[in-house]
Amino acid sequence: MTIQSNISELASSNFMKCKNYLYKNYGESPGKMLVHTGVLGWILSSAAQVLAIVVNDKISAKEKMFLIPQEFADAAVNILSFYLVTNSFTSVGNKLVKSGKLLTPKLKKFVDEQKIQDLGKVTTDISTNMTGDIRDHFMKFKGGVSIIASTLGSILSCNIITPVLRNQYAARKQKEILAMKDKNTNEPSLQDAPQKSLKSFGIRPLSMADYQKLAYMKFSGNSGNMRI
Amino acid sequence: MVSAISSFIKNSSVYRTIKSGGQKVQQAFYDVIPNKVISSEKWQKRIEWVNKEISTPENRLILGVTALMSQPFIDAHNKSVDEDTRKVSVCRTLAKIIAGTLTGYFIRKGCIKAIDKWSKLPSSVDKAGNKIELTKLNTIFSPSNALSDVCNAFIQYKNALGTIVALGVMTITNFVIDAPLTKFLTNKFVAAAGGVKHDDSK
Repeated sequence: MTIQSNISELASSNFMKCKNYLYKNYGESPGKMLVHTGVLGWILSSAAQVLAIVVNDKISAKEKMFLIPQEFADAAVNILSFYLVTNSFTSVGNKLVKSGKLLTPKLKKFVDEQKIQDLGKVTTDISTNMTGDIRDHFMKFKGGVSIIASTLGSILSCNIITPVLRNQYAARKQKEILAMKDKNTNEPSLQDAPQKSLKSFGIRPLSMADYQKLAYMKFSGNSGNMRI
Repeated sequence: MVSAISSFIKNSSVYRTIKSGGQKVQQAFYDVIPNKVISSEKWQKRIEWVNKEISTPENRLILGVTALMSQPFIDAHNKSVDEDTRKVSVCRTLAKIIAGTLTGYFIRKGCIKAIDKWSKLPSSVDKAGNKIELTKLNTIFSPSNALSDVCNAFIQYKNALGTIVALGVMTITNFVIDAPLTKFLTNKFVAAAGGVKHDDSK
């Protein structure tokens, strides 16, 4: 009974720590929250895709060897491009307000009253001595700017950069498949060759039919994972 | 131990050189941007409105709408694939965006609403202005460091927690709702676009 109550107390205290951490970290940084939940969304979506392949009985072990690394490669492209672009946009938005480069008349008045020097320097933080109403106004303004910046960043990364990168990747893969098909027509013994010699040709040890089937599954609708 | 290592790294000359180099690059970028005071009240109100009203569900909706305006055109102009593949690709992209955006928006919205219901504070009141009686259930997600339930930080906290829960829910609905809905819509769109000459997908 004592052990049970201790475990329950520990779980409850850790849960409270988690909630307080979320409140402290995301309460005043909605832009950061959009970036982090966006990345988490991509990670979960990619993990679900990999899991779906791992547990799918209709896909053979050989096919899984092809599909799983491809899924990881896709996930890396999606997550990296989303994080790098969106996080950069959000940081710039936050820094513009924090350094005093982008102000409202109310904030400008505060900055002048406080005689804050070096406006626009990356090391400047105009919010250091802010309290009360002016701090509330600053937080709302900074929050709005950072949400606009992170939304612009995610539009650029999810809707332009990622589809273009993926189309180029898919086109390269299709060319590889066509090249392999040509090679296979000229060298019929290739499919029966030992795996070691297949590797020496720079191709994966899969049959042509398998490869084409997988390539169709993977690249015909080349817009990537199911974004959640 | 960890803090000692961290302080050793931060005090090292290599770290300080990299940090100061990074700051110089950043500063060169910010120097290009002119200082600006937003004097228009209309724009100030719009920015405050964004802070108050736009969170992850609306962000997902905006991403979906802008995706509809960009991704099908990127796929339609992908000259590296044949015409049939291009047509299916455009239809699948449209279907995927519609299915993903609808489920993404509504599940996020629903989870944030649920978190709001179960994150009451001593200062919480109902629509009629009466104090809400706190129970174990309606305080299950309440943080202990929140000052008031009307402050911006608490609203953003509920959005963050609701979104995290929604992401967990969506790893399941991704397969249960999105995938079949995408398949259904893709087939409808492909049929509406006149079908394909060589359908190898079946």
